Amino acid sequence: MIDRGFYIMMIRKMRLILPVLLIAAVSAQGGTVYLSFNQHSTRNLFQTRDAVADQISAFSLSIDQDFSALSFLANLEYSAFRQTTGLSFFSADAGFDYLLPAGEKSAFYFAAGGAGAFYGQEYSAFSSLGANLVAAFKTYLAPSSILKLQWQGVYAVHRDSLFDFLSQIASLSIDKYFQTRTTFKADAEWGYKYFLHPFLPEPVEPLTEPIATIAAPNGMGTGTGSGQGWGGQQYQGGNGFIPRYSSEGGGAGIGHVSLSLLAAQGIGDVIGLSASAVQQWIVTGENPFLSIEEFYLVQNPSADAFSWEGRQFTGRITLSLPWSVELKAGYTYSNKTYPGVESMSLEGVPMGIVRGDIRHLFEARLEKNFRRVTVFLVYSRVDNRSTDPLFDWKGHYVMGGFEWNLPTGRREARHD
Amino acid sequence: MIKKIVLVGFLTFLATGAAAGQTAGHFYDIDKEVKIEGVVRQVSLEPRYKGTAPFLVLRIEESAGAKMYNVEVSPSWFFGQDIHGGEKVKVVGSLAEVPDGVPTVIAREIRLRGEKITLRDRRGFPSWQGGPQRKRGIRRFGSF
Repeated sequence: MIDRGFYIMMIRKMRLILPVLLIAAVSAQGGTVYLSFNQHSTRNLFQTRDAVADQISAFSLSIDQDFSALSFLANLEYSAFRQTTGLSFFSADAGFDYLLPAGEKSAFYFAAGGAGAFYGQEYSAFSSLGANLVAAFKTYLAPSSILKLQWQGVYAVHRDSLFDFLSQIASLSIDKYFQTRTTFKADAEWGYKYFLHPFLPEPVEPLTEPIATIAAPNGMGTGTGSGQGWGGQQYQGGNGFIPRYSSEGGGAGIGHVSLSLLAAQGIGDVIGLSASAVQQWIVTGENPFLSIEEFYLVQNPSADAFSWEGRQFTGRITLSLPWSVELKAGYTYSNKTYPGVESMSLEGVPMGIVRGDIRHLFEARLEKNFRRVTVFLVYSRVDNRSTDPLFDWKGHYVMGGFEWNLPTGRREARHD
Repeated sequence: MIKKIVLVGFLTFLATGAAAGQTAGHFYDIDKEVKIEGVVRQVSLEPRYKGTAPFLVLRIEESAGAKMYNVEVSPSWFFGQDIHGGEKVKVVGSLAEVPDGVPTVIAREIRLRGEKITLRDRRGFPSWQGGPQRKRGIRRFGSF
């Protein structure tokens, strides 16, 4: 149930946002405006053994507008957290992309954009501004075989400069479709993330206590879930993020290569099956942080696709049911280690082993398309086993919502 | 005040750009919806409209009767979806003008590999958000 205070707060926010949405919808003639609302419910927001339940309401507005071969896109989103209100955030991104044909069978794609995310005071360290560039090339080697190359570069600065980074990912994929309705795809990826200044200045006095405990007075992960973790007294996060000290300062990079294989099979008109496997290796550097954490729905720069090595297997089924109903379900097993990240006891004492997580993830999504809106319900269950007891957890997530495309142009002109 | 100026500028920018992609005469007409089932024989990028990016166009051979159709998918989905020659597909779309003797269908929905791809809503308004840039964002459970 939504309490009265939360309800009033949401009404106030919407009074500010709705006029902007409506004006934008009317103004964007010839473009496309998308509105969506997602309601999330979770029993473990911070994904640790100290489970914190919460509900999140997320509103978003996206606009797509073509200017000749150039497309403008913008997205505004506001996510309101009912319990951990300091995590409520506003995010926006905008950019242009451009499709450049190279004959009938090939094309280049270029995109450039900027993005920002702004959190409440307790979590303002995550607030960020960034820019990204994408370049891609796709060609049909044969009618049934596609080759793709892609490069993406991202630069982001954060309120807490520990997280500032520059990253890039380059990937190559090739696939082949067979008459048996089977598709095989192979992917190779190289990625490198460079944290510009991830270290704290070396303390004057030598450390005599566990690292996490020493860090605690300044608000650095106690590992106790006491609400006195990194970020200050109001920080209710997992308390799992702990930076390192360094007298030299400077930056630190981590690079990986990965290989993935995918097989997909269509059965009749209503069933789609796929299975995929990914193996990733860290080939240079390691995570610069002693302990990292991951929040539900919140972009946490200490833990992402660059931070791990290991393997992941995924199986999925898609059922296209009558009455425009679609059901997707999937299971993912992952076995990941995080080089440079230490497993710690609940008292914050390093255990001398690199953190490793084995995760079982089950996801299902039911979607129904009505005449004007798409309604969906998502259920996820996670069982995470970690060498760091703080990250030994299991929990489930429920999300429901709708997506609505606004008609923003004259109907006779809707060819694009 | 500055926020208001930025907002007005942004909306003016959108409004003035709107006219760039509009041409009359070739549009999604829900009264001319057809369903076709067949095999993709050819995939190509073709300039279709003045002032827009080239469209992904599928040449589909209908299973019943071996009739050929050109199916307009979208400008940006060349990168958004991988559709191969030889794939069996079902298309729901609007039958449009015939520029080269081959009937053209503006796709609203495509079914292939057991999955349904919705390109437009039931009134014919586009619902695609194409290229790689638009796929970024954080991974959340259940986001297939």
